[in-house]
Amino acid sequence: MRRLVAFAVLVGIAALLAGCGGPMTPDELSRSIGTLESTAAEGSLLAKDVADDRTKATFARVHARDLSGVVDHEAEKLNDAQADQADVARAKSRAVNLAGRIGTALGQIQIAPGDEAGGRRAQHALDRFSQDAKKLADGL
Amino acid sequence: MKAVFSIALGVIAAIGGFIDIGDLVFNAQAGGSVGTPVLWAVPVGVVGIIVFAEMSGRIVAVSKKPNFVLVKERYGRRLSTFTLVASLVLTVLTLGAELGGLGFVLNYFFDVSVNFFVLVALIGIAAAIYFLPFGGLERVFGYLGLALLVYIAASLKLDPDWGEIGRGFVPESHSAAVYWYFVVGLISAALMPYEIYFYSSGAVEEGWDESDMKVNRANSIVGFALGGLISVAILVASAQVLKPAGISPTSVGTVALVAEQPYAQVGLILAFVGILFAVGGATIDTAFSAAYNLAQHQGWKWGKRFRLLSEPRFTLSLAGFLLIGFAIAQTGVDPIELTEYAVIFSIPVLPLTYLPILLVGNDRNVMGKYVNGPLARVLGWAYFGLICVLAVAAPVLFVATNGGS
Repeated sequence: MRRLVAFAVLVGIAALLAGCGGPMTPDELSRSIGTLESTAAEGSLLAKDVADDRTKATFARVHARDLSGVVDHEAEKLNDAQADQADVARAKSRAVNLAGRIGTALGQIQIAPGDEAGGRRAQHALDRFSQDAKKLADGL
Repeated sequence: MKAVFSIALGVIAAIGGFIDIGDLVFNAQAGGSVGTPVLWAVPVGVVGIIVFAEMSGRIVAVSKKPNFVLVKERYGRRLSTFTLVASLVLTVLTLGAELGGLGFVLNYFFDVSVNFFVLVALIGIAAAIYFLPFGGLERVFGYLGLALLVYIAASLKLDPDWGEIGRGFVPESHSAAVYWYFVVGLISAALMPYEIYFYSSGAVEEGWDESDMKVNRANSIVGFALGGLISVAILVASAQVLKPAGISPTSVGTVALVAEQPYAQVGLILAFVGILFAVGGATIDTAFSAAYNLAQHQGWKWGKRFRLLSEPRFTLSLAGFLLIGFAIAQTGVDPIELTEYAVIFSIPVLPLTYLPILLVGNDRNVMGKYVNGPLARVLGWAYFGLICVLAVAAPVLFVATNGGS
Protein backbone atom coordinates (compact mmCIF):
# COMPACT_ATOMS: atom_id res chain seq x y z
CA MET A 1 0.00 0.00 0.00
CA ARG A 2 2.82 2.42 0.92
CA ARG A 3 4.57 1.69 -2.37
CA LEU A 4 1.34 2.33 -4.25
CA VAL A 5 0.88 5.69 -2.54
CA ALA A 6 4.53 6.64 -3.17
CA PHE A 7 4.14 5.69 -6.83
CA ALA A 8 0.95 7.75 -7.14
CA VAL A 9 2.67 10.78 -5.59
CA LEU A 10 5.66 10.42 -7.96
CA VAL A 11 3.36 10.17 -10.98
CA GLY A 12 1.54 13.32 -9.80
CA ILE A 13 4.79 15.27 -9.35
CA ALA A 14 6.07 14.11 -12.75
CA ALA A 15 2.81 15.17 -14.39
CA LEU A 16 3.03 18.59 -12.72
CA LEU A 17 6.66 19.06 -13.74
CA ALA A 18 5.87 18.00 -17.29
CA GLY A 19 3.42 20.87 -17.55
CA CYS A 20 5.86 23.54 -16.31
CA GLY A 21 8.54 25.61 -17.98
CA GLY A 22 9.99 25.61 -21.49
CA PRO A 23 8.99 27.66 -24.53
CA MET A 24 5.42 27.62 -25.82
CA THR A 25 4.67 24.89 -28.36
CA PRO A 26 2.34 25.40 -31.36
CA ASP A 27 -0.09 22.99 -29.70
CA GLU A 28 -0.22 25.06 -26.49
CA LEU A 29 -0.64 28.26 -28.48
CA SER A 30 -3.40 26.68 -30.53
CA ARG A 31 -5.25 25.70 -27.32
CA SER A 32 -4.89 29.22 -26.00
CA ILE A 33 -6.19 30.75 -29.24
CA GLY A 34 -9.04 28.19 -29.13
CA THR A 35 -10.08 29.70 -25.79
CA LEU A 36 -10.11 33.16 -27.38
CA GLU A 37 -12.18 31.85 -30.32
CA SER A 38 -14.71 30.19 -27.98
CA THR A 39 -14.97 33.24 -25.71
CA ALA A 40 -15.48 35.63 -28.63
CA ALA A 41 -18.18 33.33 -30.06
CA GLU A 42 -19.94 33.19 -26.70
CA GLY A 43 -19.66 36.96 -26.37
CA SER A 44 -21.25 37.30 -29.79
CA LEU A 45 -24.18 35.08 -28.71
CA LEU A 46 -24.66 37.20 -25.58
CA ALA A 47 -24.36 40.44 -27.57
CA LYS A 48 -27.02 39.20 -30.01
CA ASP A 49 -29.43 38.70 -27.10
CA VAL A 50 -28.62 42.22 -25.87
CA ALA A 51 -29.27 43.58 -29.37
CA ASP A 52 -32.61 41.73 -29.61
CA ASP A 53 -33.64 42.67 -26.03
CA ARG A 54 -33.91 38.97 -25.11
CA THR A 55 -31.80 38.97 -21.96
CA LYS A 56 -31.61 40.50 -18.48
CA ALA A 57 -29.25 43.47 -18.22
CA THR A 58 -27.69 42.27 -14.94
CA PHE A 59 -26.93 38.83 -16.39
CA ALA A 60 -25.48 40.35 -19.58
CA ARG A 61 -23.23 42.66 -17.56
CA VAL A 62 -21.97 39.98 -15.16
CA HIS A 63 -21.47 37.37 -17.86
CA ALA A 64 -19.67 39.82 -20.16
CA ARG A 65 -17.38 40.65 -17.21
CA ASP A 66 -16.72 36.92 -16.63
CA LEU A 67 -15.90 36.41 -20.31
CA SER A 68 -13.68 39.45 -20.26
CA GLY A 69 -11.84 37.94 -17.27
CA VAL A 70 -11.24 34.73 -19.26
CA VAL A 71 -9.79 36.73 -22.16
CA ASP A 72 -7.59 38.86 -19.88
CA HIS A 73 -6.24 35.74 -18.16
CA GLU A 74 -5.47 34.15 -21.53
CA ALA A 75 -3.77 37.34 -22.74
CA GLU A 76 -1.59 37.41 -19.61
CA LYS A 77 -0.60 33.77 -20.12
CA LEU A 78 0.22 34.41 -23.76
CA ASN A 79 2.19 37.54 -22.95
CA ASP A 80 4.26 35.79 -20.28
CA ALA A 81 5.01 32.68 -22.34
CA GLN A 82 8.28 32.39 -24.23
CA ALA A 83 8.21 31.46 -27.92
CA ASP A 84 11.43 30.25 -29.55
CA GLN A 85 10.07 29.55 -33.02
CA ALA A 86 9.53 32.68 -35.17
CA ASP A 87 6.10 31.62 -36.49
CA VAL A 88 4.89 30.80 -32.95
CA ALA A 89 6.18 34.15 -31.65
CA ARG A 90 4.38 35.99 -34.48
CA ALA A 91 1.10 34.14 -33.88
CA LYS A 92 1.44 34.69 -30.12
CA SER A 93 1.80 38.42 -30.60
CA ARG A 94 -1.26 38.52 -32.88
CA ALA A 95 -3.20 36.48 -30.33
CA VAL A 96 -2.38 38.96 -27.55
CA ASN A 97 -3.57 41.78 -29.79
CA LEU A 98 -6.76 39.88 -30.65
CA ALA A 99 -7.43 39.23 -26.97
CA GLY A 100 -7.27 42.98 -26.35
CA ARG A 101 -9.85 43.66 -29.06
CA ILE A 102 -12.16 40.90 -27.78
CA GLY A 103 -11.90 42.38 -24.28
CA THR A 104 -12.84 45.83 -25.62
CA ALA A 105 -15.92 44.49 -27.43
CA LEU A 106 -17.02 42.60 -24.30
CA GLY A 107 -16.50 45.81 -22.34
CA GLN A 108 -19.18 47.47 -24.52
CA ILE A 109 -21.76 44.91 -23.26
CA GLN A 110 -20.52 45.27 -19.70
CA ILE A 111 -20.80 49.05 -19.70
CA ALA A 112 -24.16 49.32 -21.49
CA PRO A 113 -26.04 45.99 -21.28
CA GLY A 114 -29.30 47.72 -22.23
CA ASP A 115 -27.93 49.43 -25.36
CA GLU A 116 -29.37 47.46 -28.26
CA ALA A 117 -27.42 49.27 -30.99
CA GLY A 118 -24.19 48.86 -29.04
CA GLY A 119 -25.05 45.18 -28.56
CA ARG A 120 -25.41 44.75 -32.32
CA ARG A 121 -22.02 46.40 -32.94
CA ALA A 122 -20.39 44.18 -30.29
CA GLN A 123 -22.04 41.12 -31.83
CA HIS A 124 -20.59 41.80 -35.27
CA ALA A 125 -17.16 42.64 -33.87
CA LEU A 126 -17.01 39.52 -31.71
CA ASP A 127 -18.17 37.38 -34.61
CA ARG A 128 -15.29 38.69 -36.67
CA PHE A 129 -12.78 38.19 -33.85
CA SER A 130 -13.92 34.62 -33.38
CA GLN A 131 -13.30 33.93 -37.07
CA ASP A 132 -9.93 35.67 -36.89
CA ALA A 133 -8.95 33.46 -33.95
CA LYS A 134 -9.99 30.35 -35.85
CA LYS A 135 -7.87 31.37 -38.86
CA LEU A 136 -4.93 32.10 -36.59
CA ALA A 137 -5.17 28.69 -34.90
CA ASP A 138 -5.63 26.90 -38.25
CA GLY A 139 -2.47 28.56 -39.56
CA LEU A 140 -0.28 27.02 -36.86
CA MET B 1 -50.05 13.96 -4.61
CA LYS B 2 -48.81 11.72 -1.79
CA ALA B 3 -47.12 9.47 -4.38
CA VAL B 4 -45.39 12.51 -5.92
CA PHE B 5 -44.07 13.65 -2.53
CA SER B 6 -42.94 10.12 -1.63
CA ILE B 7 -40.21 10.17 -4.30
CA ALA B 8 -38.63 13.42 -3.02
CA LEU B 9 -35.57 11.62 -1.60
CA GLY B 10 -34.72 10.15 -5.00
CA VAL B 11 -35.29 13.49 -6.72
CA ILE B 12 -33.01 15.50 -4.41
CA ALA B 13 -30.34 12.78 -4.36
CA ALA B 14 -30.34 12.72 -8.17
CA ILE B 15 -30.70 16.46 -8.87
CA GLY B 16 -28.16 17.36 -6.19
CA GLY B 17 -25.99 14.41 -7.12
CA PHE B 18 -25.46 14.52 -10.82
CA ILE B 19 -26.73 17.94 -11.80
CA ASP B 20 -24.46 19.82 -9.42
CA ILE B 21 -22.43 22.90 -10.37
CA GLY B 22 -19.62 20.91 -12.01
CA ASP B 23 -21.91 18.50 -13.82
CA LEU B 24 -24.10 21.28 -15.22
CA VAL B 25 -21.07 22.77 -16.94
CA PHE B 26 -19.63 19.33 -17.79
CA ASN B 27 -22.85 18.32 -19.59
CA ALA B 28 -22.80 21.58 -21.54
CA GLN B 29 -19.10 21.05 -22.35
CA ALA B 30 -19.86 17.53 -23.61
CA GLY B 31 -22.65 18.89 -25.84
CA GLY B 32 -20.52 21.81 -27.05
CA SER B 33 -17.36 19.75 -27.69
CA VAL B 34 -18.40 16.32 -28.96
CA GLY B 35 -22.18 16.70 -29.24
CA THR B 36 -24.78 13.95 -29.11
CA PRO B 37 -22.54 10.89 -29.84
CA VAL B 38 -21.76 10.65 -26.09
CA LEU B 39 -25.44 10.56 -25.05
CA TRP B 40 -25.34 6.80 -24.39
CA ALA B 41 -23.06 7.37 -21.41
CA VAL B 42 -25.87 9.07 -19.46
CA PRO B 43 -28.25 6.06 -19.30
CA VAL B 44 -25.28 3.78 -18.54
CA GLY B 45 -24.52 5.91 -15.46
CA VAL B 46 -28.20 6.30 -14.53
CA VAL B 47 -28.87 2.54 -14.59
CA GLY B 48 -25.76 2.03 -12.42
CA ILE B 49 -26.86 4.50 -9.75
CA ILE B 50 -30.42 3.09 -9.84
CA VAL B 51 -29.06 -0.43 -9.22
CA PHE B 52 -26.97 0.66 -6.22
CA ALA B 53 -29.46 3.16 -4.80
CA GLU B 54 -32.25 0.59 -4.91
CA MET B 55 -29.95 -1.95 -3.26
CA SER B 56 -28.84 0.46 -0.50
CA GLY B 57 -32.46 1.52 0.17
CA ARG B 58 -33.48 -2.13 0.41
CA ILE B 59 -30.61 -2.80 2.84
CA VAL B 60 -31.77 0.10 5.04
CA ALA B 61 -35.37 -1.14 4.93
CA VAL B 62 -34.27 -4.60 6.11
CA SER B 63 -31.28 -3.92 8.39
CA LYS B 64 -31.67 -0.17 9.24
CA LYS B 65 -27.97 0.22 8.34
CA PRO B 66 -26.88 3.15 6.14
CA ASN B 67 -23.94 2.84 3.81
CA PHE B 68 -21.11 4.02 6.04
CA VAL B 69 -22.11 1.58 8.79
CA LEU B 70 -21.68 -1.18 6.17
CA VAL B 71 -18.27 0.26 5.24
CA LYS B 72 -17.22 0.18 8.89
CA GLU B 73 -18.48 -3.35 9.47
CA ARG B 74 -17.01 -4.86 6.29
CA TYR B 75 -13.62 -3.12 6.13
CA GLY B 76 -12.21 -3.00 9.64
CA ARG B 77 -10.65 0.06 11.25
CA ARG B 78 -7.79 0.98 8.89
CA LEU B 79 -9.59 0.67 5.58
CA SER B 80 -12.79 2.22 6.90
CA THR B 81 -10.79 5.19 8.23
CA PHE B 82 -9.09 5.56 4.84
CA THR B 83 -12.50 5.44 3.14
CA LEU B 84 -13.82 8.03 5.60
CA VAL B 85 -10.93 10.45 5.04
CA ALA B 86 -11.02 10.10 1.25
CA SER B 87 -14.80 10.52 1.14
CA LEU B 88 -14.65 13.55 3.45
CA VAL B 89 -12.00 15.24 1.29
CA LEU B 90 -14.07 14.60 -1.83
CA THR B 91 -17.35 15.67 -0.25
CA VAL B 92 -16.05 18.81 1.44
CA LEU B 93 -14.24 19.95 -1.73
CA THR B 94 -17.51 19.46 -3.60
CA LEU B 95 -19.39 21.32 -0.85
CA GLY B 96 -17.01 24.27 -1.28
CA ALA B 97 -17.60 24.17 -5.04
CA GLU B 98 -21.40 24.13 -4.57
CA LEU B 99 -21.33 27.11 -2.17
CA GLY B 100 -19.08 28.96 -4.61
CA GLY B 101 -21.51 28.03 -7.41
CA LEU B 102 -24.43 29.45 -5.41
CA GLY B 103 -22.47 32.68 -5.03
CA PHE B 104 -21.98 32.90 -8.81
CA VAL B 105 -25.65 32.15 -9.55
CA LEU B 106 -26.96 34.75 -7.09
CA ASN B 107 -24.50 37.30 -8.45
CA TYR B 108 -25.97 36.80 -11.95
CA PHE B 109 -29.28 38.02 -10.49
CA PHE B 110 -28.08 40.97 -8.41
CA ASP B 111 -24.43 41.85 -9.32
CA VAL B 112 -22.97 42.73 -5.93
CA SER B 113 -20.04 40.34 -5.43
CA VAL B 114 -19.60 36.59 -5.60
CA ASN B 115 -18.01 36.40 -2.14
CA PHE B 116 -20.90 38.34 -0.60
CA PHE B 117 -23.40 35.93 -2.12
CA VAL B 118 -21.38 32.91 -0.96
CA LEU B 119 -22.00 34.25 2.56
CA VAL B 120 -25.70 34.77 1.77
CA ALA B 121 -25.86 31.21 0.42
CA LEU B 122 -24.21 29.83 3.56
CA ILE B 123 -26.72 31.63 5.79
CA GLY B 124 -29.64 30.52 3.58
CA ILE B 125 -28.55 26.87 3.55
CA ALA B 126 -27.86 26.87 7.31
CA ALA B 127 -31.30 28.39 7.97
CA ALA B 128 -32.99 25.83 5.70
CA ILE B 129 -31.18 22.98 7.50
CA TYR B 130 -32.14 24.35 10.91
CA PHE B 131 -35.77 25.25 10.26
CA LEU B 132 -36.97 22.72 7.66
CA PRO B 133 -37.63 19.08 8.47
CA PHE B 134 -35.77 16.49 6.38
CA GLY B 135 -38.81 15.96 4.13
CA GLY B 136 -39.13 19.73 3.67
CA LEU B 137 -35.50 20.03 2.55
CA GLU B 138 -36.03 17.24 0.03
CA ARG B 139 -39.17 18.83 -1.37
CA VAL B 140 -38.02 22.44 -1.55
CA PHE B 141 -34.65 21.74 -3.17
CA GLY B 142 -35.61 18.62 -5.14
CA TYR B 143 -38.81 19.93 -6.70
CA LEU B 144 -37.74 23.55 -7.30
CA GLY B 145 -34.62 22.10 -8.95
CA LEU B 146 -37.03 20.63 -11.47
CA ALA B 147 -37.23 24.10 -13.06
CA LEU B 148 -34.27 22.64 -14.96
CA LEU B 149 -36.90 20.80 -17.01
CA VAL B 150 -36.76 24.00 -19.10
CA TYR B 151 -33.83 22.30 -20.84
CA ILE B 152 -36.14 19.55 -22.08
CA ALA B 153 -38.47 22.17 -23.54
CA ALA B 154 -35.44 24.03 -24.93
CA SER B 155 -33.98 20.98 -26.61
CA LEU B 156 -37.39 20.27 -28.22
CA LYS B 157 -37.87 23.87 -29.37
CA LEU B 158 -34.38 23.99 -30.87
CA ASP B 159 -35.60 21.33 -33.31
CA PRO B 160 -32.81 18.77 -33.02
CA ASP B 161 -32.02 16.06 -35.55
CA TRP B 162 -33.86 13.12 -33.93
CA GLY B 163 -31.98 10.55 -36.00
CA GLU B 164 -28.70 11.94 -34.68
CA ILE B 165 -30.02 11.85 -31.12
CA GLY B 166 -31.18 8.26 -31.56
CA ARG B 167 -27.74 7.28 -32.87
CA GLY B 168 -26.20 9.03 -29.85
CA PHE B 169 -27.73 6.41 -27.57
CA VAL B 170 -25.86 3.64 -29.40
CA PRO B 171 -22.22 3.28 -28.27
CA GLU B 172 -19.69 3.46 -31.05
CA SER B 173 -15.98 2.76 -31.31
CA HIS B 174 -14.00 5.98 -31.25
CA SER B 175 -10.31 6.77 -31.28
CA ALA B 176 -10.50 10.34 -29.94
CA ALA B 177 -9.42 10.57 -26.29
CA VAL B 178 -11.67 13.58 -25.77
CA TYR B 179 -14.73 11.47 -26.70
CA TRP B 180 -13.81 8.90 -24.03
CA TYR B 181 -13.03 11.65 -21.54
CA PHE B 182 -16.62 12.85 -21.77
CA VAL B 183 -18.02 9.28 -21.77
CA VAL B 184 -16.12 8.43 -18.57
CA GLY B 185 -17.01 11.79 -17.01
CA LEU B 186 -20.73 11.42 -17.73
CA ILE B 187 -20.85 7.90 -16.27
CA SER B 188 -18.78 8.90 -13.22
CA ALA B 189 -20.97 11.98 -12.59
CA ALA B 190 -23.98 9.72 -12.05
CA LEU B 191 -22.04 7.54 -9.59
CA MET B 192 -20.55 10.16 -7.25
CA PRO B 193 -20.20 8.50 -3.82
CA TYR B 194 -21.95 11.19 -1.76
CA GLU B 195 -25.22 10.51 -3.63
CA ILE B 196 -25.38 6.99 -2.28
CA TYR B 197 -24.32 8.03 1.24
CA PHE B 198 -27.06 10.67 1.25
CA TYR B 199 -29.66 8.32 -0.22
CA SER B 200 -29.09 5.47 2.25
CA SER B 201 -28.89 7.81 5.27
CA GLY B 202 -31.98 9.61 3.97
CA ALA B 203 -33.81 6.29 3.93
CA VAL B 204 -32.94 5.92 7.64
CA GLU B 205 -34.13 9.51 8.26
CA GLU B 206 -37.44 8.62 6.63
CA GLY B 207 -37.72 5.46 8.73
CA TRP B 208 -38.08 3.01 5.84
CA ASP B 209 -38.91 -0.58 6.70
CA GLU B 210 -39.91 -3.67 4.76
CA SER B 211 -43.25 -2.09 3.85
CA ASP B 212 -41.39 0.64 1.92
CA MET B 213 -39.86 -1.54 -0.79
CA LYS B 214 -42.11 0.01 -3.46
CA VAL B 215 -41.31 3.54 -2.23
CA ASN B 216 -37.60 2.69 -2.45
CA ARG B 217 -37.98 1.35 -5.97
CA ALA B 218 -39.99 4.40 -7.07
CA ASN B 219 -37.45 6.79 -5.51
CA SER B 220 -34.45 5.14 -7.07
CA ILE B 221 -35.97 4.64 -10.53
CA VAL B 222 -38.04 7.83 -10.98
CA GLY B 223 -35.71 10.19 -9.10
CA PHE B 224 -32.49 9.17 -10.81
CA ALA B 225 -34.17 8.78 -14.22
CA LEU B 226 -35.42 12.38 -13.91
CA GLY B 227 -31.88 13.52 -13.13
CA GLY B 228 -30.64 11.59 -16.16
CA LEU B 229 -33.31 13.11 -18.39
CA ILE B 230 -32.25 16.63 -17.40
CA SER B 231 -28.60 15.73 -18.05
CA VAL B 232 -29.54 14.50 -21.53
CA ALA B 233 -31.59 17.64 -22.19
CA ILE B 234 -28.72 19.98 -21.20
CA LEU B 235 -26.35 18.02 -23.41
CA VAL B 236 -28.73 18.03 -26.40
CA ALA B 237 -29.58 21.73 -26.07
CA SER B 238 -25.88 22.58 -25.76
CA ALA B 239 -25.08 20.50 -28.83
CA GLN B 240 -27.68 22.60 -30.72
CA VAL B 241 -26.55 26.01 -29.47
CA LEU B 242 -22.86 25.81 -28.53
CA LYS B 243 -21.32 23.25 -30.87
CA PRO B 244 -22.15 25.02 -34.18
CA ALA B 245 -20.76 28.27 -32.74
CA GLY B 246 -17.56 26.60 -31.47
CA ILE B 247 -18.25 27.54 -27.85
CA SER B 248 -16.71 25.53 -25.05
CA PRO B 249 -18.41 26.61 -21.81
CA THR B 250 -16.36 27.46 -18.76
CA SER B 251 -19.00 28.87 -16.43
CA VAL B 252 -22.56 28.27 -15.30
CA GLY B 253 -23.55 31.48 -17.12
CA THR B 254 -23.01 29.70 -20.44
CA VAL B 255 -25.36 26.92 -19.34
CA ALA B 256 -28.06 29.53 -18.64
CA LEU B 257 -27.33 31.24 -21.96
CA VAL B 258 -28.30 27.97 -23.70
CA ALA B 259 -31.83 28.13 -22.21
CA GLU B 260 -32.09 31.79 -23.20
CA GLN B 261 -31.74 31.02 -26.91
CA PRO B 262 -35.21 29.49 -27.46
CA TYR B 263 -37.13 31.19 -24.64
CA ALA B 264 -35.37 34.54 -24.10
CA GLN B 265 -35.71 35.95 -20.55
CA VAL B 266 -38.22 33.32 -19.39
CA GLY B 267 -35.76 30.57 -20.32
CA LEU B 268 -32.94 32.42 -18.57
CA ILE B 269 -34.91 32.88 -15.33
CA LEU B 270 -36.20 29.29 -15.25
CA ALA B 271 -32.68 28.01 -15.89
CA PHE B 272 -31.25 30.08 -13.03
CA VAL B 273 -34.05 29.09 -10.62
CA GLY B 274 -33.44 25.43 -11.49
CA ILE B 275 -29.67 25.82 -11.17
CA LEU B 276 -30.03 27.68 -7.86
CA PHE B 277 -32.10 24.93 -6.26
CA ALA B 278 -30.21 22.05 -7.87
CA VAL B 279 -26.90 23.46 -6.62
CA GLY B 280 -28.58 24.24 -3.28
CA GLY B 281 -29.70 20.59 -3.19
CA ALA B 282 -26.13 19.50 -3.92
CA THR B 283 -24.94 21.70 -1.06
CA ILE B 284 -27.42 20.00 1.28
CA ASP B 285 -26.46 16.54 -0.07
CA THR B 286 -22.74 17.10 0.45
CA ALA B 287 -23.00 18.81 3.85
CA PHE B 288 -25.21 16.05 5.22
CA SER B 289 -23.19 13.26 3.58
CA ALA B 290 -19.99 14.46 5.23
CA ALA B 291 -21.67 14.74 8.65
CA TYR B 292 -23.49 11.40 8.24
CA ASN B 293 -20.28 9.58 7.29
CA LEU B 294 -18.30 10.98 10.21
CA ALA B 295 -21.09 10.27 12.72
CA GLN B 296 -21.70 6.75 11.40
CA HIS B 297 -17.98 5.97 11.43
CA GLN B 298 -17.63 7.26 15.00
CA GLY B 299 -20.84 5.64 16.22
CA TRP B 300 -22.47 8.96 17.20
CA LYS B 301 -26.17 9.67 17.34
CA TRP B 302 -27.01 11.31 14.02
CA GLY B 303 -29.84 12.55 11.84
CA LYS B 304 -32.18 15.40 11.08
CA ARG B 305 -35.06 13.34 12.48
CA PHE B 306 -33.81 14.22 15.98
CA ARG B 307 -33.58 17.74 17.36
CA LEU B 308 -30.20 19.08 16.24
CA LEU B 309 -29.48 20.39 19.74
CA SER B 310 -29.93 16.89 21.19
CA GLU B 311 -26.99 15.52 19.15
CA PRO B 312 -24.24 18.13 19.54
CA ARG B 313 -21.43 16.15 17.88
CA PHE B 314 -23.44 15.55 14.69
CA THR B 315 -24.70 19.15 14.66
CA LEU B 316 -21.23 20.60 15.25
CA SER B 317 -19.73 18.45 12.48
CA LEU B 318 -22.50 19.54 10.08
CA ALA B 319 -21.82 23.20 10.95
CA GLY B 320 -18.06 22.62 10.77
CA PHE B 321 -18.24 21.10 7.28
CA LEU B 322 -20.41 23.99 6.09
CA LEU B 323 -17.83 26.45 7.44
CA ILE B 324 -14.93 24.59 5.80
CA GLY B 325 -16.85 24.61 2.51
CA PHE B 326 -17.46 28.34 2.98
CA ALA B 327 -13.76 28.95 3.63
CA ILE B 328 -12.85 27.02 0.46
CA ALA B 329 -15.38 29.03 -1.59
CA GLN B 330 -14.08 32.33 -0.11
CA THR B 331 -10.60 31.65 -1.49
CA GLY B 332 -12.07 32.57 -4.87
CA VAL B 333 -11.20 29.22 -6.41
CA ASP B 334 -13.18 28.45 -9.57
CA PRO B 335 -15.99 26.06 -8.51
CA ILE B 336 -15.86 24.23 -11.83
CA GLU B 337 -12.13 23.51 -11.47
CA LEU B 338 -12.72 22.52 -7.86
CA THR B 339 -15.24 19.86 -8.85
CA GLU B 340 -12.68 18.51 -11.34
CA TYR B 341 -10.16 18.10 -8.49
CA ALA B 342 -12.92 16.52 -6.39
CA VAL B 343 -13.39 13.89 -9.10
CA ILE B 344 -9.70 12.99 -8.76
CA PHE B 345 -10.23 12.45 -5.02
CA SER B 346 -13.34 10.35 -5.72
CA ILE B 347 -11.23 7.72 -7.47
CA PRO B 348 -10.24 5.60 -4.45
CA VAL B 349 -13.65 6.14 -2.88
CA LEU B 350 -15.76 4.88 -5.77
CA PRO B 351 -15.07 1.11 -5.48
CA LEU B 352 -14.78 1.32 -1.67
CA THR B 353 -18.22 2.95 -1.50
CA TYR B 354 -20.05 0.47 -3.70
CA LEU B 355 -18.50 -2.87 -2.70
CA PRO B 356 -20.11 -3.16 0.79
CA ILE B 357 -23.57 -2.49 -0.68
CA LEU B 358 -23.08 -5.32 -3.14
CA LEU B 359 -21.71 -7.72 -0.52
CA VAL B 360 -24.55 -7.07 1.94
CA GLY B 361 -27.21 -7.05 -0.79
CA ASN B 362 -26.00 -10.51 -1.84
CA ASP B 363 -25.92 -11.81 1.76
CA ARG B 364 -29.01 -13.95 2.44
CA ASN B 365 -28.23 -14.05 6.18
CA VAL B 366 -28.74 -10.28 6.40
CA MET B 367 -31.31 -9.71 3.67
CA GLY B 368 -33.49 -12.83 4.02
CA LYS B 369 -36.15 -12.90 1.31
CA TYR B 370 -35.04 -9.43 0.13
CA VAL B 371 -31.61 -10.69 -0.98
CA ASN B 372 -30.47 -9.58 -4.47
CA GLY B 373 -32.12 -11.54 -7.26
CA PRO B 374 -30.17 -12.79 -10.31
CA LEU B 375 -30.65 -9.50 -12.22
CA ALA B 376 -29.48 -7.31 -9.32
CA ARG B 377 -26.46 -9.62 -8.78
CA VAL B 378 -25.41 -9.57 -12.43
CA LEU B 379 -25.95 -5.82 -12.82
CA GLY B 380 -24.30 -5.15 -9.46
CA TRP B 381 -21.10 -7.02 -10.30
CA ALA B 382 -21.04 -5.69 -13.87
CA TYR B 383 -21.29 -2.12 -12.59
CA PHE B 384 -18.74 -2.75 -9.86
CA GLY B 385 -16.32 -3.89 -12.60
CA LEU B 386 -17.15 -0.77 -14.60
CA ILE B 387 -16.56 1.44 -11.54
CA CYS B 388 -13.09 -0.09 -11.11
CA VAL B 389 -12.31 0.60 -14.79
CA LEU B 390 -13.56 4.19 -14.41
CA ALA B 391 -11.39 4.67 -11.35
CA VAL B 392 -8.32 3.95 -13.48
CA ALA B 393 -9.49 5.60 -16.72
CA ALA B 394 -10.70 8.93 -15.32
CA PRO B 395 -7.35 10.44 -14.24
CA VAL B 396 -5.52 9.07 -17.28
CA LEU B 397 -8.04 10.68 -19.66
CA PHE B 398 -8.06 13.88 -17.61
CA VAL B 399 -4.31 14.28 -18.12
CA ALA B 400 -4.31 13.00 -21.73
CA THR B 401 -7.01 15.44 -22.89
CA ASN B 402 -5.95 18.36 -20.71
CA GLY B 403 -9.31 18.29 -18.98
CA GLY B 404 -11.28 17.68 -22.18
CA SER B 405 -10.04 20.79 -23.97
